[in-house]
Amino acid sequence: MPGPREQQADAQGGGGRAATPPEAWFFCLRILGGRYAFEAPLVTEVVRLGPLTRLPAAPSFLPGVFTHRGEVLPVLDISQLVGHSAVAIRPSTRAAIVHCGPWKVAVVSDAVEGLVAIPRRALEPPPAESTGVAEFMSAVARDRAGAIAILDLPRMVEAARARAVPAGSAPA
Amino acid sequence: MSEAKSEILMFQVGPRVFAAEVYDVIRIGSVHDVPPEDVVGATALGVPFARRRGIVVGDHAAGTERALAVDQVIGIRSVPETDVHPLPAFAAACLQSAAVTGFVLVDDSPTLLIDLPTLVREGPAAPADAERT
Repeated sequence: MPGPREQQADAQGGGGRAATPPEAWFFCLRILGGRYAFEAPLVTEVVRLGPLTRLPAAPSFLPGVFTHRGEVLPVLDISQLVGHSAVAIRPSTRAAIVHCGPWKVAVVSDAVEGLVAIPRRALEPPPAESTGVAEFMSAVARDRAGAIAILDLPRMVEAARARAVPAGSAPA
Repeated sequence: MSEAKSEILMFQVGPRVFAAEVYDVIRIGSVHDVPPEDVVGATALGVPFARRRGIVVGDHAAGTERALAVDQVIGIRSVPETDVHPLPAFAAACLQSAAVTGFVLVDDSPTLLIDLPTLVREGPAAPADAERT
C-alpha cells in the first residue's frame, strides 16, 4: 500500500504518470443571457474596458481596440460572432484577456462570473446543433448556479479570423 | 539623451481623426487643384463630409500622384516612437483594409495610423465597409 506521500506524488504526476485532477477549472462569463465558460488557463486577467477606438473595415465581432497598460488590445464580441446583438459596452463593462495560440484578445461580456470548478464526470457532450454558439461548444455542465456551456475558445477565435476577409483579398 | 520622435500628420475624415506618417505626404492643398480622376473620396476610412482638403501622396506602383479627400488637416504632431504601436495581430488578421497599420497614442488615446499610399491604392471601399466605419 502506498503511504500518503506516494499518493500525493501520484496525484501530482510523480513517477512519470500524468494524473488527471477530478475537477476541471473554467472561466465563466455571462453573455447572450446565459453562462458561458472556457478553459481557465487561457485567461490572463480581467480588465475594465477603456474607451474603444473603432476600426474601419472591421467585422462586427471586432468592435474596436482599447489600451491597457500601454498595450493596444483587440476586443472580441462573441455574441456578434454567433449572429446575435452586440454586447452593450458601458464604463462598467469588463473583458477577459485571453491568449489563444498566436492571438491575444479581450473577450467582452455582460458580466464576469469568474473561476468555476466542474467535476470532469459532470461534463456532458454538447447539443448536436451546428449553428450559432452551439457550433463552438465542447461540453455542457451544470453546477449550483445553473447550466454552463463550455466553449472551445481557441476554435472560436480561429473561426472569427477565418470569417473575416483578410487584408489584401478584399474586393477592389 | 533625446527621445526618438515620429512626425505624424493628423487629419479628419467624417467624424473621425486619423494619423499618418508625414514622410508619405507630398503636399496638402485643395482638392480642386487636383484632376477629379486623381481624387480618392470614399475609402475604408469612410466618406468625408465636405472633401475640403486633399492630401497628395505618391502611388508608387502607377508612378502617379493621387489626393485623398479629407475634411480637415489638423496639423503635425511630434510623438515619441514609443507611442507608435503596430496593429494587434488579431485585428490585423481581421481587417479588410491593409491601410490601417497601427496606432499612435495621442494624449493617451489610440489614434489609427494609416498608410496613405496603401489607402489610395485600395481606392473606394465596398459599401458594406463604409457602413461599418
